[in-house]
Amino acid sequence: MGKKEEYLKRLSDGVVEMEEDDVAEACQEYLDAGYPAFDGIMGGLVDGMNRASQLYEEEEYFVTDVLLCSDAMYAGLDILRPHLPDEDGETKKKGVIGVVEGDTHDIGKNLVKIMLETAGFEMTDLGRDVPLQKFVDTAEEKNADMICMSTLMTTTMGGMETVIHMLEEAGLREQVKVLIGGGPISQKYADKIGADGYSANAVEAVKLAKRLLNII
Amino acid sequence: MAEIIFKQRAGCISCSDGDNLMQVLLDAGIFVDNPCSGKGLCGKCKVRVLSGNPSVMSDTEKKLLKQEEIVSGVRLSCLTEVSGHMEIELLQKEGQHKVLTKGYIPEFDKDSFEEGYGICIDIGTTTVVTALIDLCTGEELADASMINAQKHYGLDVLTRITYEYENPENGAEKLQKAIVNSINGMIEEVCREAEVDKSKILEIDVAANCTMLHMLLGVDARSIGKSPYKPQFLKAQELFARKIGIQAGHGTKLYCLPSVSGYIGADIVAGAYVCRLQEEARNVLFIDIGTNGEIVLASKGRILCCSCAAGPALEGMNISSGMRASEGAIEDVKIREKGIVLQTIGDREPIGICGSGILAVVKELLATGIVKKTGVFVKKEKLPETDYRYPMIRLNGTKRELILHKEPELLVTQGDVRQVQLAKGAILSGFMALLNKAGIHMEDLNKVMIAGQFGAHLPAESLIGTGILPNAVKDKLEYVGNSSKTGAYMTLMSKKVKREIEALAERMEYMELAETENYERIFTECMIFPEI
Repeated sequence: MGKKEEYLKRLSDGVVEMEEDDVAEACQEYLDAGYPAFDGIMGGLVDGMNRASQLYEEEEYFVTDVLLCSDAMYAGLDILRPHLPDEDGETKKKGVIGVVEGDTHDIGKNLVKIMLETAGFEMTDLGRDVPLQKFVDTAEEKNADMICMSTLMTTTMGGMETVIHMLEEAGLREQVKVLIGGGPISQKYADKIGADGYSANAVEAVKLAKRLLNII
Repeated sequence: MAEIIFKQRAGCISCSDGDNLMQVLLDAGIFVDNPCSGKGLCGKCKVRVLSGNPSVMSDTEKKLLKQEEIVSGVRLSCLTEVSGHMEIELLQKEGQHKVLTKGYIPEFDKDSFEEGYGICIDIGTTTVVTALIDLCTGEELADASMINAQKHYGLDVLTRITYEYENPENGAEKLQKAIVNSINGMIEEVCREAEVDKSKILEIDVAANCTMLHMLLGVDARSIGKSPYKPQFLKAQELFARKIGIQAGHGTKLYCLPSVSGYIGADIVAGAYVCRLQEEARNVLFIDIGTNGEIVLASKGRILCCSCAAGPALEGMNISSGMRASEGAIEDVKIREKGIVLQTIGDREPIGICGSGILAVVKELLATGIVKKTGVFVKKEKLPETDYRYPMIRLNGTKRELILHKEPELLVTQGDVRQVQLAKGAILSGFMALLNKAGIHMEDLNKVMIAGQFGAHLPAESLIGTGILPNAVKDKLEYVGNSSKTGAYMTLMSKKVKREIEALAERMEYMELAETENYERIFTECMIFPEI
């Protein structure tokens, strides 16, 4: 195994094992050794995060573990990103994500955002208690391919349906997929309000987004 | 036109083709367990279709049922539409619930009354407790309890508020009618038992969470259901009981205790008062564990409080073999080398596991190393086949689960442990956030008071063993029972208590956890189970 591969493995393992400090250190050494930032991100950090998602899906890892893995990944990204070559016009799929108006519980949403970012989506995070119109306005402004909404409370679920109507009125419904999730949400509810998809957890959300946007 | 007949009971229900089966059954007053309120999430509302043509089974429904259930005609009623003539077999019976009506009462000066009676009531989201008091002696003459009749509109506070959103014209009125009818029934019952003329009731005092108080008074509770969760009123309320339809004397007064915020209601203020946090010089924590865990901390002259969304796991909901605490529910579990020992309520054959049972299991799983502190099951292949734990663990694909009981099959899955872990993380993080805010450490706590229906059934070893409460407070736990009702009893007996409890509510400082800096971090750390 060459030196570069050793570094990539160290980055990937560091993310899986939640070693934030070691990942940051390894990223710096990797750059100093003259290797390209892009490969470090994809073959190291993202690879590690993908392994963490796999473990999450197998129920080995839980929200807690994945959040800690993502801390390590972001610590590495902070070091590698500034060394990326200028965008080569690569077209990432774009998404807008947030917790609907009236609800302030956002841990689940944060996890979904992390997983989607890791999977290569460009996400705009509107945070929590997001005014419904803002989902639509941001999607239009960013030319987004999808809107992801979550809520933990039954009282605020109705906002998701409102956003779908707003998208229809703005003539955007055809070009924006709507994905929903959260404690009280179900496939039954997604069908009822005409959302494009429901996912029960963050890993499912990535699969769903890829399927809806025809990404292999 | 459609028609449903039953294997177990006479009569038939007429409805329309395409009607939702669960709704039809509930409307007819038939018990169907539906903790998720018919959202197609929990998989509990099972019935068996013996004949007829119900709607086609969706993938969601298939995922929630076992293969052998599907083969034998079991359906989830919330995901099934009625069509034509159907015969079904009901698979559930409504169990008897245990209700906690008593609690610790501190010494206090009672007003002197010449004559007359009073009523004190604790309205819980799940259960309602009523007691008849002889005002002259302060003695409790009779008590009554029942399941909150509002359960038809949803099992938890948020679902009932959602009902108001969905029925803006008469939702609040229907919810009010349900609880007032229940109260009238209970007043009737206690008065009959003690042979007291209900027109001699001078006053009725009520403690309850903020939403239940709104619904009792017929006040729109919708704003409590959405951020910033602001209620319509917080202060103590005084009015004539007849104004809301309570049948007692013409001049009977109604007094509702004060709340602090939408999620720290009069039940918690009452509890804090009963535990004398208002005059506490030491560091004392008060906690009421339920779907929402409410925590109050008295420290250095301040009284801080917060509410955390623990979810229903600790009440046996959202758990694959979960049920509420009623007969046949597993309430304690021991995992020994010789095997698994179960204890059920009423010493019946086990039919499911209730909140205290699921906590006991998780404690045992941690103590035996079957579940590690990150919450994951140990890998079966890493255990020698001769290990006593080996046969207890079953592989379901790559997922591990504990076989708790074989016939009927009751399992504790990885997902179940995760649900407990979330609840634990929510409660402990609220606890930690309050300590941080007060600037004290766990070791500085002198006492932890555990209140409420559910907490009373949780032994210290389960609370500590699962890490809901940290090991440092192990010898400092005290159980205070139904302190909400006790608070209402005390205000009933003393005007001075009323004024003091109102002052306490003003003094309690509410902290919104979601707004707390680094809350996500605290929560994440609090989800780790304790080292054994």
